[in-house]
Amino acid sequence: MEVTELYYNDPKEIRKFKIKTIVFQVLLYLFLVSVAIFILIPFYWMIITSLKTKIEVDLMVPTFFPQEVAWSNYSQVFTQVTLFGRYFLNTIFVSVCTTALVVFTTVTAAFAFARLKFKGKELIFALLLMTMMIPGEMFVITNYMTVSVFKWTETFQALIIPFGVSVFYIFFLRQTFQQIPNELYLAAKVDGIGDFKYLWKIMIPIAMPSIVTIIILGLMGAWNAYIWPQLVANNGPLRMIANGLMVAFTTEFSSEPQLQLAASTLVTLPLFAFFVIFRKYIMRGVSRSGIKG
Amino acid sequence: MEVVLKNLTKEFVDRKGNKTVAVSNFDTVIPSGKLIGLLGPSGCGKSTTLYLIAGLHKASGGQIFFGDTDVTNLAPENRGIGLVFQNYALYPHMTVRQNIMFPLENMKLPRKEILDRTLQMAKLVDIDKYLDRKPKELSGGQQQRVAIARALVKMPKVLLLDEPLSNLDARLRLQTREEIKRIQRETGITTIFVTHDQEEAMSISDEIIVMSAGEMQQKQPPQEVYDDPANLFVAKFLGNPAINIFEGSIRSGVLFLGETKLDNSYEGEDRKVLVGIRPEAFIPDDKGQLEIVIAFIEHIGRDISIIGHAKGLESKTRIIIPAEHKHLQEGDTVRFNYRSKYVFEVDGKRIR
Amino acid sequence: MIEDKRAGWKALIALAPAMAFLLLFMFFPLFNTLIMSFLERFRFKSGGGLFAWNQSFQSIGFGEYLNVLRNPQFLTALKNTFILVIVSVPISVSLSLLVAVALNKIKRLQGLFQTIFFLPYVTNTIALGMVFKVMFSTNNGLINTILKAIGMAPVAWLTDATAAGYWSALAVITIYTVWNGMAFKILVFLSGLQSIDKQYYQAAQLDNASRARVFWRITVPLLSPMIAYVIITSFIGAFKSYTDVIAVFGAGDQVYGPPGSPFMWITVVGFIYKSLKGGLMLPGSLARASAGSVILLIIILFFTVIQLWVSKKKVHY
Repeated sequence: MEVTELYYNDPKEIRKFKIKTIVFQVLLYLFLVSVAIFILIPFYWMIITSLKTKIEVDLMVPTFFPQEVAWSNYSQVFTQVTLFGRYFLNTIFVSVCTTALVVFTTVTAAFAFARLKFKGKELIFALLLMTMMIPGEMFVITNYMTVSVFKWTETFQALIIPFGVSVFYIFFLRQTFQQIPNELYLAAKVDGIGDFKYLWKIMIPIAMPSIVTIIILGLMGAWNAYIWPQLVANNGPLRMIANGLMVAFTTEFSSEPQLQLAASTLVTLPLFAFFVIFRKYIMRGVSRSGIKG
Repeated sequence: MEVVLKNLTKEFVDRKGNKTVAVSNFDTVIPSGKLIGLLGPSGCGKSTTLYLIAGLHKASGGQIFFGDTDVTNLAPENRGIGLVFQNYALYPHMTVRQNIMFPLENMKLPRKEILDRTLQMAKLVDIDKYLDRKPKELSGGQQQRVAIARALVKMPKVLLLDEPLSNLDARLRLQTREEIKRIQRETGITTIFVTHDQEEAMSISDEIIVMSAGEMQQKQPPQEVYDDPANLFVAKFLGNPAINIFEGSIRSGVLFLGETKLDNSYEGEDRKVLVGIRPEAFIPDDKGQLEIVIAFIEHIGRDISIIGHAKGLESKTRIIIPAEHKHLQEGDTVRFNYRSKYVFEVDGKRIR
Repeated sequence: MIEDKRAGWKALIALAPAMAFLLLFMFFPLFNTLIMSFLERFRFKSGGGLFAWNQSFQSIGFGEYLNVLRNPQFLTALKNTFILVIVSVPISVSLSLLVAVALNKIKRLQGLFQTIFFLPYVTNTIALGMVFKVMFSTNNGLINTILKAIGMAPVAWLTDATAAGYWSALAVITIYTVWNGMAFKILVFLSGLQSIDKQYYQAAQLDNASRARVFWRITVPLLSPMIAYVIITSFIGAFKSYTDVIAVFGAGDQVYGPPGSPFMWITVVGFIYKSLKGGLMLPGSLARASAGSVILLIIILFFTVIQLWVSKKKVHY
């Protein structure tokens, strides 16, 4: 009743097997390299176009490497759009303030959900989770009205305050807090350490990697903000970087692809730098959001 | 199907280049149709040996034969083995039936035969009532039986089990090891299992292979391994409570325990030796050679456990005697004789 | 008893900051927007305060909903959004899955590939949208140059206002969306794959399973929770398409198409924002936007519920 066969003792079969394995690995690498090229081409095109002169950019057959490297495009971005530097500063300011606010609300709320007992805890948390599914547009419309009522249009408050909380980060940090063993809490209790002190002295330090992830993701979030600033704070001096880009594309830089892409590169570089430094945190934060789906 | 291991060696090289020898020059014949236990402490190389036989590890040296066939370079799926993992590795998303059927589906057998064999195997391991359940709905013992069924359904030449009883609670262990023995008897498949629990190995194996630090120490039926240990390691490893080891000496061919003469007709020069006497080997005897001062007595129902001190010796002695001697008290000095003793060189070699 | 009382009070303090924001900017708006959608010819009244029902409106009813549903532009937006979802989500998810599986099988350079694949995530949507616009530029764009070089005719990707231009624009939008979206999906899939116990694969190897069998009968089922999560979130994300589209046409936040047909690829969210442009004072504009967003919510909920129901049956947790 033996069903298994012996091959692989035969050198011809071994060779076939080895070849099949190598071919498979080669195909895998080829596939991955193709996808990598697909991902990288836009970046490549962005950078070389940003370094071409207007004449070269308008050539019927584009070159694959700038014949004349026009670094001046970059300075032109700042001179032609005088507010460009301002856009950067606005964005940094908003992102720092928002992140500070978010970290505060996230840590306190996650602490409450993870550690404290109170009536309706599960219910409230479930409600919060459900809100994550709701399209932001439903909030935006009323918030737009609210912001007008508070007379916050064209102010920084409008850009910062509504984003003082993120349900996702609360969920994320609560998970981390929950993984801190209960025994630590009980031991601290026995030592007479109160809840809030426990949060400050023990939970936060242990959960620091997650908190850092939240800080980093939060800082990055402001960079991509477009819809809301466009609605409530789109006047020149207050513009955020994404909105500033779009305005520049359509006015000062329209039909100047080399300037447009130089601006794009300028906007992309800080994020890249951020990524290179904080890669682990960013990627960990993003992948964790998928585990408990 | 007998399994022959010739000079089998496995080395692991870590990233820094450090070599660890997990299995060294393993040389043995595992007879066909028998249940063999690979016994040893953690890290002795028993699981590695099992995986070498399975083909999940590649041998660094030596050969493995299944019958007449050299399988040393064969991929695991081509050797005709069935392996039960320590954690069972049952596919959690499939029912019991689908789990058992899986190997057969890969062999492209006709559907009817697949279902028949699956049912047959499920009945053999007594899991046929649960064919439509998912693994997480079953108890540990039941999951294991499914794992065994899955391994057996392809009618392998050799069945391998990695620590089959470690994940079960004490009560289930007794039950399950009887099951394993029964299944092995009914199928007649050459079976090798790995364990660190000597009682397990002793209870069901036809033969035990004791391993330590990658090397085989002894290979014999359980009672012989117990009664006639090849070296100090085996003597100490088997037996619960563990054997008592005393420091003794041989002077002019006479064996001494401290100043007590035990025996003569020993060869070789004067030297220090180790003497092993199992706790249950002691017999209270007024004319006994050994004087023991009782420090502590435990009545454990069927037996009496004594912890005492042999006069003239430093080491603690543990003795187990039948309960009829309940008149003994702590502080008493009692004379004992012994049924059997083992003498070892200081390096562990047995002196017969 | 004391325990409970104290804990409740502490929780109140701890939750207060978050709850304050949430109440004002999330729970209240939810409520308010919903109500607003039923206030026909809604108009902001100065001094009316925060609540929608204190503003000026003509009557209560489904009027604004009808305005939205009968609006031909909304219907176009609806159609466009559905097409985007149906086209981009399957491509995006399956490609990401394949990449993740391939990545999981190679030994070297895994880290390098992971970093490359993640780059689009850290980019600004508007900035890179312009790059794609330039790459797909009709006259001397990179893509058309390559097409010409291999003997094919160039395509007016984003500048064609005719019916053909609709589909070529879809191609560009899809490519951009997929390019942007892969990073997140690959990461989720990869971490899911890495969490599958290797012993399952060893057991399958011993059972002589072919690579295809291992993939379909073991990897995919064990990965199904992640797959479900990614599909659901991708669906929701695709339904909310807006920034991707305007980024690729790169002509302003209300331009969804080539010159000559600026609303060719308007999406549902785009429609909502277009309505908002009317401002607080234009009668009905806010209410219309609200109605639109409620409709969007219903669509998303509907599909999410269906997907959750399907996943209950097919996903193995």
